[in-house]
Amino acid sequence: MERKEKPILFFTTTQRFVHWLHVVAFILLLVTGMVLYVPQLHPFAVGSAGQASRLLHRIGVILLAAVPLIYIVFDPRQFARSMKEIFTWSSDDLGWLKAAPAYYFLGDEKAMPPQGKFNTGQKLFYLTVVVALVVFGVTGFVMWFGKGVVPVGLFQWSVFLHDLAAIATAAFFLVHFMLSVMHPLMKGSLESMLFGWISEEYVKSHHRKWYEEVMRSKESE
Amino acid sequence: MSKVAMLIDASQCMACRGCQVACKQWNDLAGWSYSKTVNRGSYENPPHLSPQTWTRIKFVEYEGGERFQWLFLKEGCMHCTQAACVDVCPTHALKHHPLGFVTFEKELCNGCGYCTQFCPFDIPRLEANRLSGQAKASKCTFCQDRATNGLIPACVKTCPAGALSWGEREEMIAKGRARVEVLKNGRGFLNANLYGETELGGLGRLYVLTERPSAYGLPEKPQYPALTTVWQDIVQPLGEIAIGATAVGLLINFLIARRNIKVEEG
Repeated sequence: MERKEKPILFFTTTQRFVHWLHVVAFILLLVTGMVLYVPQLHPFAVGSAGQASRLLHRIGVILLAAVPLIYIVFDPRQFARSMKEIFTWSSDDLGWLKAAPAYYFLGDEKAMPPQGKFNTGQKLFYLTVVVALVVFGVTGFVMWFGKGVVPVGLFQWSVFLHDLAAIATAAFFLVHFMLSVMHPLMKGSLESMLFGWISEEYVKSHHRKWYEEVMRSKESE
Repeated sequence: MSKVAMLIDASQCMACRGCQVACKQWNDLAGWSYSKTVNRGSYENPPHLSPQTWTRIKFVEYEGGERFQWLFLKEGCMHCTQAACVDVCPTHALKHHPLGFVTFEKELCNGCGYCTQFCPFDIPRLEANRLSGQAKASKCTFCQDRATNGLIPACVKTCPAGALSWGEREEMIAKGRARVEVLKNGRGFLNANLYGETELGGLGRLYVLTERPSAYGLPEKPQYPALTTVWQDIVQPLGEIAIGATAVGLLINFLIARRNIKVEEG
């Protein structure tokens, strides 16, 4: 029997909320951190403006710390699901990495292996974000509360790793922004993060494995 | 401009602490407001450098040599030629002066405290609110406002024992070496040495010591923190290139993808 295609719920309310909270916190932290490194932003790094930047950076920390906490408390199922998915890697992921350039540059979809709810690139991004969050958290804690308390070597490594994590996430953030907001092949992905829903056709072509999973569970209902 | 330096002859210091007072007077620093002076079993006071104490005499009761010695060390910024604090300071509040010392502009300081954590001598101090992170660093500047206007630092000016000298670095080195020879050959201080001549590219603060530097609690071989170079000269520039390359790559990707997809659709 022919059935009509219906939008599929891709992101729960909690997921969308923590995502946008993460966006706000990340941009605040990125900008107030970047002032130390970008010469054009130097006026925001020095003196009382610099003090204000450092205070805003700490406010950003509190917002960011709330992200995983809210996620775990209000949507533990999706949280566990996402964590499991980003740490599960198969041969399809290798295939994706090989086929991705032709797809993203030329729109050639033929060699792209079927993907789960998150494709390989998204998993890589998500994984980077999670690892960076831990690195930022630990090193940032040392830098905020450990100055003069912990050995200087530990502090120095913390500053270094904090910067490294910032470089990695800033570069990946650009990729994420580009692919989710601007890329001509990804129409619908921004809407899904704003409103939760995405067309069945999009899910079928971009997240085939997950699509089949969803359809199976619907049939069994 | 030839470099200047401060020569501190520890063998002549009598620990009167006039330098501590002169420093506070000239630089308008508060007295020891952190706690009342307590008896810690030493004449040493205050117990350590602080945001309001940029120099102080450290008292060491040294029993390692042939006889008991009471060693006095005038602590303060070493004004390294290879200064990690200058290299890590993100606001450029700490800078090299052509005369060879490290200046500090407090109004530029944002209070990050990196200088306190990267200094091989543990000199800069931070006045900080630990919760909000609001802070200011401070350290001895060789009285930069005096030194850059033809005056000698306040501590040198006041020293009644003649333990402190100030002048062209080469002259100070020559004077220090001569004094070491006197101590070694004429006075029986076999371990006498001149500290700071080559350490970290040469220090602005030179010491004539009667015992090994470690007896005074000074590092025998002070090290520029290796991570500073990796961080500032390798990772940071590479990171900027990586982020820039990512942005350019994405732009190219966007343009190619848009064109190709248009062609397909059209």
